[in-house]
Amino acid sequence: MIRTRKIVIIGLLVGLGLIMHFVETMLPLTAVVPGAKLGLANIVSLIGIVLFGFSGGLQIVLLRIIIGSLLAGTFMTINFYLSLSGGLISFFMMYFVYKFSKEKFSLIGISVIGAVTHNIGQIVIAYIIIENAAIFYYLPFLTLLAIPTGISVGLVCFFTVSSLPTSLTGR
Amino acid sequence: MKINDIITFYDKILIIMIIIASLLMLFVPFYYSQQGDSKNLYLIIESNGEEIKRFPLENTFSEPVLFEVEGPIGIHKIEAYQGKVRVKEAPEDDPLKICEKTGWIEQQGPIIICVPNRISIWIESSDAEVDGMSW
Repeated sequence: MIRTRKIVIIGLLVGLGLIMHFVETMLPLTAVVPGAKLGLANIVSLIGIVLFGFSGGLQIVLLRIIIGSLLAGTFMTINFYLSLSGGLISFFMMYFVYKFSKEKFSLIGISVIGAVTHNIGQIVIAYIIIENAAIFYYLPFLTLLAIPTGISVGLVCFFTVSSLPTSLTGR
Repeated sequence: MKINDIITFYDKILIIMIIIASLLMLFVPFYYSQQGDSKNLYLIIESNGEEIKRFPLENTFSEPVLFEVEGPIGIHKIEAYQGKVRVKEAPEDDPLKICEKTGWIEQQGPIIICVPNRISIWIESSDAEVDGMSW
């Protein structure tokens, strides 16, 4: 793929990720379980992994987290570190599963793995910050809630990637 | 295209395993593993908004310690024993004696208050600080 086209598409995906983050803050899923999110930004991460591989996907994840926190005003606060840890861990897990077992897991399974490891990463970093083991009490509820959201995110990714023109995806 | 065409067999196994693991985790009592930092706990008695007594709780484990605090309507007798504290006797002019009925407190949350005598008693830890703020 031509370099300029790659930069443009990465920029578009990062922009989409920022809008998804903004939309998520307007939907109060935190009333059900504290810290629950729809995780719509993982759509953008997963499309980045499918289209661009490791380096492109990593750029998308880092850019959307850093710029998103700069725009929302939470740049170096606890929210930022939770987002960063969850996003990075879910990106690495999704990339490894995608690269090594693409035949066994469909995009839906990869996205469920991404959602669950996002929650696990966030809770582990929150435990390191507040040093109270009772926070793991939230983990089973979060992972149970992560399964349907992971399935929906995976479905969105699947239909997006299959409708993109083949000049982009190279398939 | 239905969803059954997209999901593979291993996806279903993965989802079922996650459900089983989280249902098992629901039964582990995580909330009992709180830290007992009983080395730094202090008993604080406040009268009229000012702190008049600060007593380390580790000295109360061997025998009961009695305090007498004076207020506008009389004298409160406060007893501290084995890491717990209570109001042993409230003055006679206290109409409701809620402070006496509160009984023992031993954690950092609850607080004993006597409104007519303006006395508050609670337990505080000396290394309590704010972890972080976000909004």
